[in-house]
Amino acid sequence: MAESETPKTRPRPLVRLGIFLISHSLLVSVVCCTAGVLALLLLPVLAKNTYISENALMPGSANAMLSSEDISEAHRFMNDLTGLNLKTGETGIESSRLIARYMSDLGADVNYHKFHPQPNQFRPLHFFSNSDSRIIQENICCSSHGVNTVGIIRAPRGDGKEAIVLVTPYNSHKIDLAEALSLAIAYSVFSLLTRVTWLAKDIIWLAADSKYGEYASVSAWLRDYQTPVFGDFEKPYSEICCESNARHGLKESEITERKISDVFRRAGTMAAALVIKVSDGNKQADGTLSIYAEASNGQMPNLDLINIVNNLAVHRQGLQVKVEKLLSLLDSKWLRILGEVFESVGNIARSLNPQWKFGIPAADYMEGAATLASSLYYQALGVPTGSHGAFRDYQVDAITLEISPKVALNNKIRQTEFLQRGGRLIEGVIRSVNNLLEKFHQSFFLYLLTSPSKFVSVGVYMIAFALLVAPLPIVAASLYSDANKWDSSLKKHDPTSSPKSADDEHRNILRSWKWLYAAKQVFIIHSWGVLVSLLPYLICQMPNWMSKVLTWLILGSPIIDADASQSQKREWAILKSVTISAAFIGLCLMSVINFATAEIGALLLVPMCLLAHPLRLDVRAHSLKAFTRAGCNLVLGFIGFPPAAFFVLKGSFEGFESVNISDFWNWIESLWAWNSATYLYIGMVHLPCWALCIWILLHPC
Amino acid sequence: MDTPSVVLYRFQGDSEVELFVGGLKMGSFFRFRAFLLLIFAVTHLCCNSVAYGSSSASSSSTTMHTNNWAVLVCTSRFWFNYRHMANTLSLYRTVKRLGIPDERIILMLADDMACNARNKYPAQVFNNENHRLNLYGDNVEVDYRGYEVTVENFLRVLTGRHETAVPRSKRLLSDEGSHILLYMTGHGGDEFLKFQDSEELQSHDLADAVKQMKEKRRFKELLIMVDTCQAATLFSQLHSPGVLAIGSSMKGENSYSHHLDSDVGVSVVDRFTFYTLAFFEKLNMYDNASLSSLFGSYNPNMLMSTAYYRMDLYERRLEEVPVTNFFGSVMETIHTVSAYRAPSGKNSDKDKIKLSLDQSVGLDKKRTLTSSNVQDQINNSNTKDQLGVFEHLWCTFLNKAEKIEDVDILVNYGLVIMLPLVAVFTWLSR
Repeated sequence: MAESETPKTRPRPLVRLGIFLISHSLLVSVVCCTAGVLALLLLPVLAKNTYISENALMPGSANAMLSSEDISEAHRFMNDLTGLNLKTGETGIESSRLIARYMSDLGADVNYHKFHPQPNQFRPLHFFSNSDSRIIQENICCSSHGVNTVGIIRAPRGDGKEAIVLVTPYNSHKIDLAEALSLAIAYSVFSLLTRVTWLAKDIIWLAADSKYGEYASVSAWLRDYQTPVFGDFEKPYSEICCESNARHGLKESEITERKISDVFRRAGTMAAALVIKVSDGNKQADGTLSIYAEASNGQMPNLDLINIVNNLAVHRQGLQVKVEKLLSLLDSKWLRILGEVFESVGNIARSLNPQWKFGIPAADYMEGAATLASSLYYQALGVPTGSHGAFRDYQVDAITLEISPKVALNNKIRQTEFLQRGGRLIEGVIRSVNNLLEKFHQSFFLYLLTSPSKFVSVGVYMIAFALLVAPLPIVAASLYSDANKWDSSLKKHDPTSSPKSADDEHRNILRSWKWLYAAKQVFIIHSWGVLVSLLPYLICQMPNWMSKVLTWLILGSPIIDADASQSQKREWAILKSVTISAAFIGLCLMSVINFATAEIGALLLVPMCLLAHPLRLDVRAHSLKAFTRAGCNLVLGFIGFPPAAFFVLKGSFEGFESVNISDFWNWIESLWAWNSATYLYIGMVHLPCWALCIWILLHPC
Repeated sequence: MDTPSVVLYRFQGDSEVELFVGGLKMGSFFRFRAFLLLIFAVTHLCCNSVAYGSSSASSSSTTMHTNNWAVLVCTSRFWFNYRHMANTLSLYRTVKRLGIPDERIILMLADDMACNARNKYPAQVFNNENHRLNLYGDNVEVDYRGYEVTVENFLRVLTGRHETAVPRSKRLLSDEGSHILLYMTGHGGDEFLKFQDSEELQSHDLADAVKQMKEKRRFKELLIMVDTCQAATLFSQLHSPGVLAIGSSMKGENSYSHHLDSDVGVSVVDRFTFYTLAFFEKLNMYDNASLSSLFGSYNPNMLMSTAYYRMDLYERRLEEVPVTNFFGSVMETIHTVSAYRAPSGKNSDKDKIKLSLDQSVGLDKKRTLTSSNVQDQINNSNTKDQLGVFEHLWCTFLNKAEKIEDVDILVNYGLVIMLPLVAVFTWLSR
């Protein structure tokens, strides 16, 4: 210890500060945790207005050129598409052929892209190494392929090195009105872009066959786009399967379809991608544009892309832009009270000094908080919110634009007006992105949205997380030094051990390495966590009976291990110290991979880890403080269990009546299927830490 | 021959014609001159006091303004900086219209907006949304384009320190009689101007280059016009005499674009340049608008910034300087009093025209140009008033000399007179 050896030479200020913090660890942890939660709640207040950061974009500086001819053409196209539904027969092929014909009539290069939906495969390391194994199963059924139709306009004076992608997912079996409208919007823009002289980037229109899901078709196309195949690797199934289709597809008019081919066509690197959708319901959304941006593992497209769309939609097309929000939060009373408190604090501050303008109205605060919560949740989930997520895997900025018509689109005039608005919006965005010289790089990639035009940047939201996890190392150090001190003081009082001997020295050394036992314990539990998270993968690989045995074996293994070794009385403190260190490391690692997961995880883990105290000691203590602590521990221990946490959160947001036991399994399975890092976090950080905390609670002291 | 002795120069290009007219009788002049000098040596010893050598030692401040150059620089790349190229091309068009020939304009454009794929009107550049005037027509000679527009090349152009391979068309071949217009536009800041998104010209770089130019007598007067943000800061280090500087904005101010062409999709002109052009559109090369009227035409409310001009280094009063002194190629109108005074080396500004020939011809020396027929102008009352006693005598002598019909006869008479003189001298020296 520092104080025992050198009373004269004072340690350096940084060391002194460290010792001070460690000695006041309780106060520090209470203050830091409170401040962390408060900072998180303050984020909607601290949100800044978005701004177009990249000068080159210049959204809205050019007049929309989309004319009524384009619209009427698109209308004709839409009628043809919906007309196909009435006819019986293979609409799947018919619709893609119709789209291809319309595309090539405009003068675009057109090709069909046939793909087979890839079965969801758990690749635990998918987000570390994007090793794209092109799995071709031998027994692919020829009928089970989707057909994307791809049209490419070459920029007349561009260098052909860059491209902008438009994606319109549609179900080739049955095209409903909404899908037809989204295709028509893309068509109107496409037909305009074949005529304009200002294109600097190629335009790719991908009519994605969403028969097997939107994401699957888009990601299949992207995979083929980004990994060119040379030689005859791809030949087999394109020949076997598509022969029949191609045969009767090409029979009638060779001339009109000369530009349509099965050869995969490419343009340059993608600058941006826009997924266009039209929401079919006349639900609550009228005349709005919803933006979905979250890709896998909380990755977001560059904020500038959202800014352009927001700017053009609000100021040019008069659409109301919205992003996802947790609607249930809007009704919550405590949030309203909090908002009012912040508002009044802001008002007081403004009355003191008019320069201070940080208060926002309570209603704005609630909106912001609801949007922020949803933004945080969808990022934490790590599952893309739409087919734009496939683009993010290739570092292409992409968003989904879901346009909701104001009224039911039954008559033609309404449809025309809708097409015009949507088309002009898309045209404006494309023209703006067309002005771009490089990839999007100027604005933020790490941000949380609190409204379509407000964001919290990484520099601000990191503060909340940093405050939350700051007490962990301090408490760990304090617990460790306390345990050592306690041992040495115990030794002093013990008269037998007063004479110093070689044996005593030896024991001293052993004691200083005592944390290794605890570390071993923690390591075993974490290895168990790894096994648990690999369980679904193992189950897939093994025969049925064996997998069941294995499951029970793995899930039960810590219980067997639990009563293996407890020797010393103060061991739980060392164990807690190591647990806290492990949680700290896990949270910090996770914050790098997916910040939102780490933030939510820290909210659950940090209080649980910090408060963990053996129940038996608390019961023995017979004080109010001890009982309160025991109660808190029980509650936190319950909430900390991942399924319990899921049900509590889901119940509090959506009402408990809708909660179903299978929901958790579905939720976990979706995380697993989408290769979310959150799944690994739950399995390898959260679950072991929870188990260790429970162990500490049940520690036999 | 009835060529008037009052020679009004409008265009630099015309000067060679004038020289030719003057040169017709060159041969007879020399003989005549030799004779006259001899007479002077004999009769008026005081004539020697009029120094011959003074003309060669004369400083450039007393040199006549003989030619005009323009260096027009657009320093920024990229499509969204369309307006900077349009600014520069507009000014190029204006100075060309007001009489600076293409060979004396160094045009530096950092990017080619006309051929940018994003340009809705390929190969055309407009500075107004009405699209009436294509600035990128047939007769645009861009001297430095694209990545050639660097700080290094810019400083080389100003100081004339080129590599040997650089063609003459890319050099600023000005001399001590030159008026130079230096126009720069781009993105600037406090004491710098950004070149090409990668480097900067700092105010002391500019000041240093100007100082070198001054020392190398590359200009008589220099007008620096800058349309950038915080343009005034670029002039802070200048201290060479004869430099006049005007910038679009003060320190801490931005310069704004004038309007957006929603057809092309970009801003097409900056405010400062727009109002400069608006001023010049009303002028033709014969107009006498002064620099002060140009500088006074900038309205801070319209510019949304404060135009700043620095004239502490400039000697002349702005009210007396026509804008065409810089933006055109108009010299002062000069009445030559006599054809014969000039060869004597007399250095009175009013009565002498020096013509600097292009160095390209290799004739560095200055020649004094006079006209052969001076009879009519000698009696000109205006000029006579200003003549001194000596000049009066000179004129009367000349009047007599004019009476002699034929120069050859005169020469012969002179030779005849010389014979007795020689005889007298030989007799005396014996």
